[in-house]
Amino acid sequence: MKRTSKFTFSIALILLSFLVNAQQKKTDSIPPKIERFGIRFGADLFKLTRSFYDKNYKGIEFVGDYRLTKNYYLAAELGNENKTTEDDRLNTSAKGTYIKVGFDYNSYENWLDMRNMVSIGLRYGASTFSQQLNSYKLYNTSTYFPETPTVVSGEKFNGLSAQWLEVVVGMKAEVLDNIYVGFSVRMNRMLSNTKPENFDNLYIPGFNRTYNGDFGVGLNYTVSYFLPLYKTKSSPIKVDKKK
Amino acid sequence: MKKIFLILLVLSVTFSSCEKDDICDAATETTPKLIIEFYDILNPTVLKKVTNLAVKEVGSTSVINFNSESEIQLPLKTNEDITKYSLILNSTDVTIDNEDFLQFNYTRQNIFVSRACGYKTIFTLDPTTPYIKTETSTPDGYWIRNITVETSNITTENETHIKIYF
Repeated sequence: MKRTSKFTFSIALILLSFLVNAQQKKTDSIPPKIERFGIRFGADLFKLTRSFYDKNYKGIEFVGDYRLTKNYYLAAELGNENKTTEDDRLNTSAKGTYIKVGFDYNSYENWLDMRNMVSIGLRYGASTFSQQLNSYKLYNTSTYFPETPTVVSGEKFNGLSAQWLEVVVGMKAEVLDNIYVGFSVRMNRMLSNTKPENFDNLYIPGFNRTYNGDFGVGLNYTVSYFLPLYKTKSSPIKVDKKK
Repeated sequence: MKKIFLILLVLSVTFSSCEKDDICDAATETTPKLIIEFYDILNPTVLKKVTNLAVKEVGSTSVINFNSESEIQLPLKTNEDITKYSLILNSTDVTIDNEDFLQFNYTRQNIFVSRACGYKTIFTLDPTTPYIKTETSTPDGYWIRNITVETSNITTENETHIKIYF
């Protein structure tokens, strides 16, 4: 008795495995994945909200990208900033317009019909701006005379420009149909900038505060709308099972 | 994802190597003081040390004392174009002390240093009357016999600006 039960059991097991196999074959036919191509445009909420709570800051940035291939996006930012910086020894204002153009590479493999992004990209940035030196203090190690009071200047430096490269790491998630929320951080490296005479570019619109004269960081928090233009069907990639 | 992580790592490393630039380094060249060297009037190439020289701005009560030094550094006012000093030689002995007044006339220029330090002032001594030497109300003769201006551009403390012979 024992033997027969063992035998039937193993037969049943084999049959069952066939059954599972057959079932797998049935569900193997995944419908072709639809890839949507189009234009996405939006605005930076971080700069917008900062304009409300920071009296020394006014700024706006529009963002946009266009999907070129499956993973590559042409991307650009266009913005305007007016910022007053109150340092210990200097009080300066910078205002101007900037544009950043480049690409994003989406390294995120989306499941099913998800359309999210985890991207890395590069930008070329350029800015034209002006600076105003509001006031400054004189540096003097001698303490014999009382420190000279803060010097009010008001000198303006017009026609300044800067160019830089940006490495962008970001993500975008589709929160509603065609509505995306995104976040990105940027590292900037200055290529060239026209320095004002007897002063320096301490803040450059788009580039932000300069560190060591040629280094900068930035971030944005965007909400954007995706406008689909056309679709392509990509059938699932066939994988050789023997491999 | 691995790639992004790697890039973030590299970037954070480059960041940490960044110097802090919002603290003014003490070694930064600052607003220069006037450098005065003392020479022997009888032997004009030989440095001569002052004895108990008391220097103060005229009208001020804080005194800077120099003793057996042949070089002194005096600050110039950064909010006025003249600074008038009283120089009292042998100031510790009322019987032989001698007070002379030296007024320096100059123009000022403020030069950008850095975000952390702000600006500094450099001076240019007046080309026609860089200094005015005067006596006290009770004349006791000048102890300063001769003055020469070595350079009228006071931009650094690494050179002598004025030579005084006595």
